[in-house]
Amino acid sequence: MKLFSTQIIVPVDSTSVLQGALEVKHVLEETIRAYNLGSQVSVVETGALGIYDQGVVLAVFPDDVYYGNVTPSDVPEIVTEHLLKGRVVARLAIDRSLSSRRMVEKETGKSQQKIVLRNAGLIDPQSIDEYIARDGYAALAKALAMQPAEIIQILTDSKLQGRGGAGFPTGLKWGMVAKEQSDEKYIVCNADEGEPGTFKDRLILEGDPHSIVEAMAIAGYATGAHVGIVYVRGEYFMSIARLKKAIADATAYGLLGDDILGTGFSFTLEVYRGGGAYVCGEEFALLESIENQRGEPRNKPPFPPQVGLFGKPTVVNNVETFANVPPILLNGSDWFRSFGTPSSAGTKVFSLSGDIVNRGIVEAPMGTTLRELVYDFGGGVTGGRRIGFLQTGGSAGTVVSERELDTPLDFASMKTSNVSLGSGVILVASEDVPLLPFLAEVAHFFWHESCGRCTPCREGTLQVKNIMDALVSRTADPAALERLGRLLSTLTLTSFCGLGQAVPLAFESALRNFPDVFAQALAESHVPEACEELQD
Amino acid sequence: METEKREQSLGRAGVLSAEEKAFLQDVVAQDRVEHHGRVSYMDILFELEHHYGNFLPGEVLNEVARLVGTSPAQLNGFVTFYTMLSTKPRGRHVIRVCTSGPCHVTGAPSIVAELKRLLGVEMGETTPDGVFTLEGSSCLGICGVSPALMIDDDAYGNLTPEDLPRILAAKRAGGAQ
Repeated sequence: MKLFSTQIIVPVDSTSVLQGALEVKHVLEETIRAYNLGSQVSVVETGALGIYDQGVVLAVFPDDVYYGNVTPSDVPEIVTEHLLKGRVVARLAIDRSLSSRRMVEKETGKSQQKIVLRNAGLIDPQSIDEYIARDGYAALAKALAMQPAEIIQILTDSKLQGRGGAGFPTGLKWGMVAKEQSDEKYIVCNADEGEPGTFKDRLILEGDPHSIVEAMAIAGYATGAHVGIVYVRGEYFMSIARLKKAIADATAYGLLGDDILGTGFSFTLEVYRGGGAYVCGEEFALLESIENQRGEPRNKPPFPPQVGLFGKPTVVNNVETFANVPPILLNGSDWFRSFGTPSSAGTKVFSLSGDIVNRGIVEAPMGTTLRELVYDFGGGVTGGRRIGFLQTGGSAGTVVSERELDTPLDFASMKTSNVSLGSGVILVASEDVPLLPFLAEVAHFFWHESCGRCTPCREGTLQVKNIMDALVSRTADPAALERLGRLLSTLTLTSFCGLGQAVPLAFESALRNFPDVFAQALAESHVPEACEELQD
Repeated sequence: METEKREQSLGRAGVLSAEEKAFLQDVVAQDRVEHHGRVSYMDILFELEHHYGNFLPGEVLNEVARLVGTSPAQLNGFVTFYTMLSTKPRGRHVIRVCTSGPCHVTGAPSIVAELKRLLGVEMGETTPDGVFTLEGSSCLGICGVSPALMIDDDAYGNLTPEDLPRILAAKRAGGAQ
């Protein structure tokens, strides 16, 4: 093995690539060769560093220096100044406090606490050896030496809850599948990340795909399943490619396939892709899609742990949930519960987007407040503006005002403060963004994504969209808000699945937190003349 | 024009050639290997959609239905459910512009307006020269660089309306950037 004195880390996730990371990497390698530094400096590709809005980022180790907004023309200066002469190129260096806060692992206090993202940005995601070097597959080896019931007990004690939005206890779900008597069982990973504003699963899949492979194999052993399926969004081309490579490498190393690590346990993994349907994030719609059907939900009960994929007992967990499993098995349930709040153990990966200075992914303990996320991690609103409104939890989440900034976000915050955690979306809109057109867009989204199976959702989302459009164009009739309220409660009470039931969250919270905006739109509305004639 | 060429390659009456049928049989067989004897319609149809130029001709779907052992109606129901699949001819490049919350807040409406103006089409339409189809999309999962869009498999972020002519010209010329 070659020993390099200096390593330059280049993130090559989709976001970095579209900002030109591959061109920078190419010039970097050429320049290093031209200066004959090839034996001392290695260029390593990694997944996302979680730093966005800084263009192409390079990290130089062991110097711990981060450069942002790097273009190919900056590369010669970095090589001649930093690598040859040891002088940091100050004009490109990113604020250390920002980079270290985002990068350094296991810091306490308000810094990031990385459990899920323990490897993302630190290892070459396409190298199984680097994953193994950081305790990768140690949790699988440990699990295979335990009784399945012991594994489920550890997960139950850890109080890990599903990270997809619903928060169902993971240990309980695995236990339900384990106790089913069936010739076949399935482990399914929900990687159909579609909740608007959520881009965390992509970072995990592209930055640390082996963590999902390992966790799913553990789930298979714990529940008695031998087949796992990852259902990935169709648009996530790089995630699909990375995952397929990870599966192939793990199979070649004997970590998947028959007789894993000589224990007699067999487990295979396959990738299925989505076709661009938000509803397939709903677990039964997802299973239908794998079964080559339209992605329409099924009746509950029975739930997937009893009658799931191909009618067999099935574990369905989100990407982030699975990524928590190996560290919990290695470090124990007490360790995991030491992070977070009494109602919600561990960390949450938040996706910060919109008018916020540091857009990107942050992993912080459950119970971190909105203010800490927006101002400490996010760096505040762009352009020094004020917050107009915030959307938390996704489009199927709540629209709140800055009065809610001190709300700690966890699974209980919806009940206690009407601020939803959902999938961890923190979307900031500045005071310059009008609320009603935004809500109209949310309404269009649900109308488009409703699968059409049940009437309340199919027709209800259309009516919500029409009312929002009328409010925006100031053509709403006087009874519009009253009708909207009735529609929303009908959607909550009678929709067939979680999609329709969640539609009202955004609108009801917006009506509660910004009643004046709606009242003003109604006051300024006049019914178009053509309609008045019809009324006569 | 593109469409005509495809129709010709499929034969006038929509009858598939023996060569074409063998190709389809191969695609389905390959997919069975990957999925341990099962098949994924999505995988097969993604590959065929790419092969036939961003849409799935009816004759092809009929043959695939036969090969996977289902009815054409069932397969058609599947195809029409998923927005990434199309039974209608689309342009050589499919533009998917994100209109969801994070992109909306950071300027998607002006990106959409400029795309419509530059291409002279509405959402869901194809340019007369058959090069671009403009589609709206729900969140693409690259909200860190909103507003964003994808053209085919390539993503573009931190967009301003001024960036669009360059991106479209490069795609038209056949480059990736």
